[in-house]
Amino acid sequence: MIGALPLAAIPPEDEALRPEIRAFLQEAVGEIPPERRARSWMGFDPGFSRKLAGRGWLGLTFPKEYGGAGRGAFARYVLVEELLAAGAPVSAHWIADRQSGPLIQRFGTEEQRRFYLPRICRAEAFFCIGMSEPNTGSDLASVTTRAVREGDGWRLNGAKIWTTNAQHSHYMIALVRTSGAPGDRHKGLSQIIVDLHAPGVRISPIRDLAGDAHFSEVVFEDVLLPGDALIGEEGSGWMQVNAELAFERSGPERVLSSAVLLDEWANWLREVGAGEAAEALLGRLIAHLAVLRAMSIAVTGRLVEGESPIVEAALVKDLGTEFEQMIPTVIAETLARPGLVAPGSLMRTLAYTAAIAPSFSLRGGTREILRGMIARGMGLR
Amino acid sequence: MDSLLVRSAQELFSRHASSEAVRAIRAGGSPGSLWGELENSGFLDALVPEEAGGIGLGPAEALPVLIAAGRFAVPLPLGETMLARAVLGGAGEAVPQGAILLGEAYGDAARVPAFARADWVLLPRDEAALLLPAGAAVEDEAAGSPLGRVLRWPEGAGRRVPAGDLLVAGAWAEIAVMAGAMERILEDTVRHAQDRQQFGRPVASFQAVQQQISVMTEDVFASRMAAQLASVADGDGVARLNPVRIAAAKLRVGEAAVRVAAIGHAVHGAMGITEEVDLHLLTGHLQAGRMRFGGEAHWGAWLGRRFLADNTGETLAFVRAQLGPAAPEASA
Repeated sequence: MIGALPLAAIPPEDEALRPEIRAFLQEAVGEIPPERRARSWMGFDPGFSRKLAGRGWLGLTFPKEYGGAGRGAFARYVLVEELLAAGAPVSAHWIADRQSGPLIQRFGTEEQRRFYLPRICRAEAFFCIGMSEPNTGSDLASVTTRAVREGDGWRLNGAKIWTTNAQHSHYMIALVRTSGAPGDRHKGLSQIIVDLHAPGVRISPIRDLAGDAHFSEVVFEDVLLPGDALIGEEGSGWMQVNAELAFERSGPERVLSSAVLLDEWANWLREVGAGEAAEALLGRLIAHLAVLRAMSIAVTGRLVEGESPIVEAALVKDLGTEFEQMIPTVIAETLARPGLVAPGSLMRTLAYTAAIAPSFSLRGGTREILRGMIARGMGLR
Repeated sequence: MDSLLVRSAQELFSRHASSEAVRAIRAGGSPGSLWGELENSGFLDALVPEEAGGIGLGPAEALPVLIAAGRFAVPLPLGETMLARAVLGGAGEAVPQGAILLGEAYGDAARVPAFARADWVLLPRDEAALLLPAGAAVEDEAAGSPLGRVLRWPEGAGRRVPAGDLLVAGAWAEIAVMAGAMERILEDTVRHAQDRQQFGRPVASFQAVQQQISVMTEDVFASRMAAQLASVADGDGVARLNPVRIAAAKLRVGEAAVRVAAIGHAVHGAMGITEEVDLHLLTGHLQAGRMRFGGEAHWGAWLGRRFLADNTGETLAFVRAQLGPAAPEASA
């Protein structure tokens, strides 16, 4: 059984970052129409990432010696919260800043840190993550892409799919088999950094239902990689991937994916007035947002104290994505009234968010996988 | 302080609020022995300001005691008496002996929970309140239901006392008790799923059951968090409760209560419907608590209006300013 989460608050020194970030965002994204901002952390704009880098806001938590700002998790929490609430196009640097950089910092060699981290902080190295394969989804241990030792380096063959931003990225951190067979499951998996411009890498973007192409299929045909492509220990890929995923389950990005739609609707209600039913729905969404945010901050507090609240983080992600999916559902319900006229930008924002919302509970661990983790935490399996 | 308080509350309830004791009181037996223990414990004056002779704790410190009461389905208004004593003591009014229920106006009458026993009812009336002796009430049986007894007093009965927002105060007490009841339901449900064998194995080993209990776990954690958010004392009402926080929490806890009760009964294979299993005592509290002091639609519309009338800007800014995990001055 897991204990209650004590309330945690964002420390004042991290809150102090907020006004500057808000002022910057007002200027940088205020003019972007809401249906574009609704892309949230899927909105790709390298120019915006470079602007953030110019303010010192990429690699906020990386040590100063590697070009970072040496700040803590709560500073980044404030930054991410404001970026997502504003609908800033953070996708270009998102994975590098959120996952790949911390992974390299934790498991990489000194040379790898000195090479990659400053480039991430300058928005010169964008990363993608090669996990899923044509026949590997939630069952991640079944990957078949294989890197074989060749001289001092590696020869890579196989394919990754649904890789977000592969077509725009400089590097992929891929989970591959370096020894054994698929039947060995977690044993024999490693993480390697693939230079996506290397010969033998073929990237084919996949178009989605909204007309965007944010993910790709990536095929590796006899790709030759140097020896230092390996990150961390050979055979420790599974452990490293899990450490990485634990940090990505409970942040503001699991609560705020539909924030632009919620605010567009709320602002419109402010202008035209709301009936009792719309007020009640709005209040319901605000209540959920408040509780989820407190839970997300409480989990961050645990992480800051060096604990690994894996089950609590899974709770936040499952509840958070349910909330993100509830927003387009209930807003569509209130707007579907015969004769009601709503602004086109609101309807376009709704259309995008409603169409993409089913993916919210799939990315980063499906609902069923998360609930399985919670059940394990409760002693049921 | 906090853990000491919780420990002594849990010890008190384990000893004096067993399932048999709770059932006896609900069936009309004397609550005197349990109430005597609560009086001796000092909990009743926890929220009374120190200058009025109380302990001067805030809602956040008192919360774990009420959560413990919720876990044991205590059929006495512990939280409500604490709040009523804070109101009366804080206003320099004489504080009567005994349990005090916060009544809700029901036309010219008062509605109180059907299973709770008390000596007094504090009923809002014209910007103030009436402190009414429960023994002098006439029950309107035709208007009553298991969701609430309807009580009426003769004209001129009771003592007029100043009162803060008793709707907000009562909602806080229910939020806490409901969060506690849900924690206990979760524990009982997990244990039942592990013990109960079907198809030759524990029902806990079925993925469909695991997924349901995971959903329940999420709601229980969210409710506890909602109760903690509601207990941040940055308002100007009774015990410095803040109506914005109460609105959000009562709504969230009310929503959770429906799912938690349904999943609890489902995993128990409806055994909780039988009289002898404790589950229905707890789900009964949830059902009644959800209906008291405003439910989801009431508080949702209230909160929605509050947001629309506010000029904070987007929803996140509103939540940060008014519904954050710490009082604004602490996080500003």
